[in-house]
Amino acid sequence: MKKLIIIFFVLIILCGCSKDNDIYEKNIYVMDTVINIKVYSEKDASDILEKIEELYNEYNILTDRYNSYDDTKNIYYINNILNVGEEVKLDYKLYDLINFSLEFSKKYDKVNIAMGNLIDVWKKYRDSASGIPSYEELNGISSISESDIILNDGNIIKLSDVKLDLGCIAKGYVTQLAGELLESNGFDKYIISAGGNIKVGKKYSSNPYKIGIQDPVDKNNIYKIVNVSNRSVVTSGGYERFYTWEGVDYSHIIDPDTLYPSNYMKSVTVIMEDSAYADFFSTYLFMIPISDGINFVNSNSNIEAIWYGLDGKIYTSSGFSNYE
Amino acid sequence: MDTKKLTRMSMLLSISIVLGIIESFLPLFDGSIPGLKIGLANIVIIFTLYTYGLKEAILISIIRVFVIGLLRTGLFNYPFFFSLSGAFVSVVVMYLLKKIKIFSIVGISVCGALSHNLAQIFTSYFLLKVNSVFIYLPYLLIFSIPTGIIVGIVSKSLLKYYDFN
Amino acid sequence: MVKYIHQVGLVIMNKNDIKLIVVIFVIVTLSIIFINIFKKTGSFAKVYYEDDLILKIDLSKDGNYKVNGYNGEVLIEVKDNKIRVDRENSPRHLCSKQGFIDSTTQTIVCLPNKIIIKIEGKDQELDGVVK
Repeated sequence: MKKLIIIFFVLIILCGCSKDNDIYEKNIYVMDTVINIKVYSEKDASDILEKIEELYNEYNILTDRYNSYDDTKNIYYINNILNVGEEVKLDYKLYDLINFSLEFSKKYDKVNIAMGNLIDVWKKYRDSASGIPSYEELNGISSISESDIILNDGNIIKLSDVKLDLGCIAKGYVTQLAGELLESNGFDKYIISAGGNIKVGKKYSSNPYKIGIQDPVDKNNIYKIVNVSNRSVVTSGGYERFYTWEGVDYSHIIDPDTLYPSNYMKSVTVIMEDSAYADFFSTYLFMIPISDGINFVNSNSNIEAIWYGLDGKIYTSSGFSNYE
Repeated sequence: MDTKKLTRMSMLLSISIVLGIIESFLPLFDGSIPGLKIGLANIVIIFTLYTYGLKEAILISIIRVFVIGLLRTGLFNYPFFFSLSGAFVSVVVMYLLKKIKIFSIVGISVCGALSHNLAQIFTSYFLLKVNSVFIYLPYLLIFSIPTGIIVGIVSKSLLKYYDFN
Repeated sequence: MVKYIHQVGLVIMNKNDIKLIVVIFVIVTLSIIFINIFKKTGSFAKVYYEDDLILKIDLSKDGNYKVNGYNGEVLIEVKDNKIRVDRENSPRHLCSKQGFIDSTTQTIVCLPNKIIIKIEGKDQELDGVVK
């Protein structure tokens, strides 16, 4: 009897202290948005969060199209200062990002990072919210060909006045790096929220992360909730930055083939592990008809997606129900 | 401990476990007030306290919480620690009040229910660190009165009929 | 009536028990009244400057608030359980253009002023929202 009592009390004392997960949170103001990071961990995550803020800031500078920074050859530099035919060495981070994007484009050429000239034309009309560019204007723009960008052993050369715009894929790429940085430092339970781009690690409770997908028509509403862990959830849609002219909506995602904004759907949301690829694929799927997109995703076991059609109908890939 | 006592205590333990399990399937008010129960298992605890004493009552209480943890709530999670603290505190409180001899067995049972709920709420506050747990306090306290009275009356009757000594 | 209960009570328990029960009853009733006076239905809005929570606003009361953003004062208005930025110093005034928000799925973000306004309510179940 006494032995039993002792054993019980020893058990209580030994197992009594339940490990508590603290939440470390940080807001980073960068890339035209607020990035919110929550890390669930027993050990202090403040240092790693500082490093992640540095990471985002570095890439923010490197991918900035509109500002120049001393001693940094960033996108602004490449687009506006670098001479045609001149070869310069790039920061390896920017080099890798451009290289990664060009490799992706070789297989999926709708996702084009050299569309700066085309995007600028539409941006002009979108900012004034009136009119659309004429056929002549669109055809008269300078090059949007990615083959005018040559990468060679850490250096870059442009063969024309092509302009890079990494807008639709930079956030996903850096978010993937941020997630990898967290995981390699032993923080595997986290959620990085960057507007239309969310990456989560291992679940911090018995439930996976619940992520809501905003209804493109009624922004106060969530039209779908997904349960994910170790995944990225990325949405591409025309409803956040668009303008309407003569009854037609023009989104900010321009199709390099038609030279007009894509309008096959209201939004598409991609779920897959890698955030960079998720960002690329969500942009890609936005620019092809929904039926083509469904066929593509169904033939790819790493990706699931959900589409919100122009008619309000919802379409999902075959394995999407795993996340519902 | 002699065989007779061991056997009888095992029976009491089993009864308290069964009562506890039955109660867990009958949540009052649809579970909107967590921790609210009639406390039938306490009948056994009080009986043990009056028949044998503090040590035996604590033993049965704690083992009961463990077994019910194994079977229903889960071991070493929040509900487990809430139950454990409630059970332990209420037995000690009842023992002390019994010694002081102010209250009758019914009053002691009410105090047992009271202290059980108070201990559970404070434990949940310290573990969860949210103020909102205190919202349930008035409701739990007011229910300890009728439940304590019922448990007390039943215990009183049982003690009259079963005299193990 | 009370006397009847008293007599029945004395059969079951003793005088001290009855006193105990009356005391508990009174304490509980008072605390329930107390809680309901101070209860505020409706959600809160939290205003952050960078990472720091600088203001917590009860949305059930209409009012105007001033906070210091990076570029100067930011005026916040609460009306009909909704909140918005009324005025702020920024090049495109995107912050005040965002208008009223009233649900936990929405956030007002003022990048130039580094101010974020979030609503906290009962439906905290979502970990995040993709927009």
